[in-house]
Amino acid sequence: MVKRFFLILTLLLGFAHADVYETNCVACHKELPVSIDKYFYRYLLKYSSEGAVKEAMKRYLKAPSKENSIMPEAFISRFGVKAPTTLSDTELKRALELYWEKYKVFGKLK
Amino acid sequence: MLALKSWGIDLLQSEKKTLYSFLGLYSFLSIVILAFICLLYYNFEKDLMLQSKRPLLQKYADELIYELKQLHINFDKQRTYPRFEEFDSAIFDSSKKRIFSTMPDAEIDLNSILYVRGEHIYFIDQPESYYLGSQYVVLRIKDDGTWRQAVLGDILLYGSLAFGFMLFVGYFLLRLFLKPMNEALHLLDRFIKDTTHELNTPVNAIISNVEMIESEPLEPKLQKRIKRIDIGAKTISNLYQDLTYLTLGHRLLSQDEPVDIPALLQERLEYFQTLLEAKKLTLHVDLRPATLQIDRVKFAKLIDNLLSNAIKYNRVKGSITVSSDKHRISIADSGRGMEKAQIDRMFERFSRFDSSVGGFGIGLSIVSMIAKEYGIAIEIDSTPKKGTKVTLSW
Repeated sequence: MVKRFFLILTLLLGFAHADVYETNCVACHKELPVSIDKYFYRYLLKYSSEGAVKEAMKRYLKAPSKENSIMPEAFISRFGVKAPTTLSDTELKRALELYWEKYKVFGKLK
Repeated sequence: MLALKSWGIDLLQSEKKTLYSFLGLYSFLSIVILAFICLLYYNFEKDLMLQSKRPLLQKYADELIYELKQLHINFDKQRTYPRFEEFDSAIFDSSKKRIFSTMPDAEIDLNSILYVRGEHIYFIDQPESYYLGSQYVVLRIKDDGTWRQAVLGDILLYGSLAFGFMLFVGYFLLRLFLKPMNEALHLLDRFIKDTTHELNTPVNAIISNVEMIESEPLEPKLQKRIKRIDIGAKTISNLYQDLTYLTLGHRLLSQDEPVDIPALLQERLEYFQTLLEAKKLTLHVDLRPATLQIDRVKFAKLIDNLLSNAIKYNRVKGSITVSSDKHRISIADSGRGMEKAQIDRMFERFSRFDSSVGGFGIGLSIVSMIAKEYGIAIEIDSTPKKGTKVTLSW
C-alpha cells in the first residue's frame, strides 16, 4: 500500500515537473516565428557542454538582457528581450533539464 | 685489459678494480649521453614527420568541420555522422565528453595537437564554432612506420659508430692514466731484476760452501755461527727465487709432471730445517700418499712461501703442523694470526702486515698466482694471537 502511494506520488511529481517546461517555456515560444530548438542549437554552438549550456541559459532567463542574449541583434530589435523568469531555482533547473534532454546531440547521431 | 697485458703490467687487485670502475663509469656515461642524443634525434625526426603530415590533416579536419556544420544546421532532418575513408574521427564537447566517435577504443589526449600513438597519427583541431557542441575535433590516420624504421636504422648505425669512437677515446684516456703507474712498476721491476741478478752468484757460493763444512769437528760456538750464516743465506736465496719468479718465472711455460706430494713436502721441510731449529719450533707432520700433476718448481715455490711465512710469523718455541692427503695440504702455525680485513688483502702484491719481520710482501702474491694457474683453492683460517691455518685443496 505504502509502495503504491510513493509510486503515484513520484509519477505525479514527474508530471508536474514536465509541465514546468511545457507550460512555462513551450507555451510562449509557440507564438514566436523561431522554433524553440533553434535557440538550443545556438547555445550549443557557443557553449558546447551540457554544464556550460545550462549555465548560460539560466543566466539569461534570470536576468535577460541584450548583452547576454544568444540571439542576433536584429532579432532582439524586432522581438525585444523576455521578462525575467518567475520560476523558482528548482523549477528552472527542471525545465532546463527537460529542454536539454529533448534536444541534446548525445546518443542521437548514428 | 688487453693493453695491460701487452705492456706486461701485473696490476694490484685494487688498481684493477679502479680501472674497471673507470671503464664501467666511462662506458655508462657514454651510453647515457648517446641515448639522450638518440632520443633527441628520434623526437626531432618524429616532429618533422608530423609537421609534414599537418597540412593534409588540417585539410581533412576542415572537410569534417564543414560536414559537421551542415549537420548542425540540418540536425532536425539529418542525423548521420559524416564518415571518411581516409581517416577516423571523433568529436568532444568542452568538458571533454565524447559526443560521437568512429574509433571508440582509441585513447585520445585532447591536450595535445598532433601526436603519434601506436600505429596511428592523431590530430586535434578546435573549430571556431562548436558545431553539435564539438569543441574538439579529433582525426586519426594510419602511420605506416617507414619514418620510424629509417630513424631507428640511423640511430643504430650512427649510435654504434659514435659508441665505437667513444670507446676509442676511452682507450687512449686509459693509456694516459696508466702511463705513470706503468712507469713506476717498470722501474721497480727493473730494479728488482738488476738486484737479484747480482745476488744470485754470491748467495749460491755461500750456501754451497756452508754445506761443505763438516760440523762434527767444529766447536759448538763456531757451529752456531755457521748455522746463522746458513739461515741468512737461505733467506736471501728464498727472496732471490721469489723475485726471479715474479719478474721472469710466471711468464715461462709450465712443465707439468706428476709430483709426489709427501716427498716434496718432506724435501721442503728439510730445506727449512735450520730456520725451524733457530726459532725452536716443534714440527708435527702427517703426510698421506698423494700425487698432483703440476710444475714441480712452481709447486715447491708455493710450499716454500707458505712454510716460510709459518716460520717467520710464528712465536719462538711455537709449533707448525703440516698435513696432507689426496686432495689437500694444510700448514698451520701457532703465530700471531690475522684480522679478517688483513686476510682479504693478504694476496695483494707488496702488502705486508708486520714490518718487524723481513720480506717484500710478494710471497703470498706468488702463492696466489700459482694457485690460480692450477685451480687450487686457498682457504685461510686465522685467529689473532692463536695462529693461522692455510689449506690448499684441489
